[in-house]
Amino acid sequence: MTASSPDFQALLAAKAFFGREHPLFSAFGIEVGEMSQEGAAMSMACVNDVQDSNGAVHRGALSTLVDTTCGLAIFARLGDMRPIATIDLRVDFIAAPQAGEGIYSKVTCFAVEGEVAYVRGEARGCDSDSLLASTSGSFAIGTLGPSFDPGSRRNDE
Amino acid sequence: MNKQLSTDPVDAVSGSGPEAETRLSPVSFDDSPYSRFLGIEQEAVDGKLVYRMTFRDQHIGNPLIRTFHGGIIASFAEVVAARHLQASGVLHDPSACTSMTFDYLRPAFAGSLSAEPEVVRAGRRFVVVEVNVFLEKSLVSRGRFIYRRPSTGNCSSPS
Repeated sequence: MTASSPDFQALLAAKAFFGREHPLFSAFGIEVGEMSQEGAAMSMACVNDVQDSNGAVHRGALSTLVDTTCGLAIFARLGDMRPIATIDLRVDFIAAPQAGEGIYSKVTCFAVEGEVAYVRGEARGCDSDSLLASTSGSFAIGTLGPSFDPGSRRNDE
Repeated sequence: MNKQLSTDPVDAVSGSGPEAETRLSPVSFDDSPYSRFLGIEQEAVDGKLVYRMTFRDQHIGNPLIRTFHGGIIASFAEVVAARHLQASGVLHDPSACTSMTFDYLRPAFAGSLSAEPEVVRAGRRFVVVEVNVFLEKSLVSRGRFIYRRPSTGNCSSPS
């Protein structure tokens, strides 16, 4: 992936959207890991706001990270950031995260058919690498609102 | 807020289970940092608990049309499901949520969400809860959550 490749440009746009200016992703400290046709990865530290009563990442916060990674995987597959919306999402909570441990998720958009994108993935502990959750879902493409990628809306920033 | 509700029909299902023998202890709802971040409020209206979550900037999913993030709505519903299980005495420790299935039916624009939980089935090993989430009067999403009861220790099979 070179600085001028489409993947790199898409990664830059995604990092801008999922970065510090987004109030939710900023509060959670969600970071874009990788992004390619094969899938996307994002991680999240165990900051105070996402903790359950045991000091581990709350399963709701885990679901939020997984849902977000699904979106990134679809952007990666489409090669742009058209607005998308979750149709349905299933998350199986296989094991509880360790207290204080950050988590990451990896998701693949394995099919796009018409206006529907299909995803599957998992979440793991950053330190232990143990499997915490698996996910599958579908998303509608080209839903309400403008594109998330400012570059595709206008040329001046 | 910690008052036990006795009118819930699921009592009949769980009444003969191990929970019936558990001594009455104050219900300690999930008041984790995450549920405080979500800002979930509950109040008793006509003997029934009503759950609400009002939009904050940090709940945002799509900043361009200002909708709740899907994960935040799912989180709200899951916390409500767990609190409902505790308040109705079905499950004292709803920490073992094994699965969540969520349908997003309409865009949830910035506003005030309310949630209505219902126990679909309280079995001996698993409890299934459905939660409808409304924006004003409009159903925006529906979630289904499965909880595993803690092992009672008198069963030879761990599962």
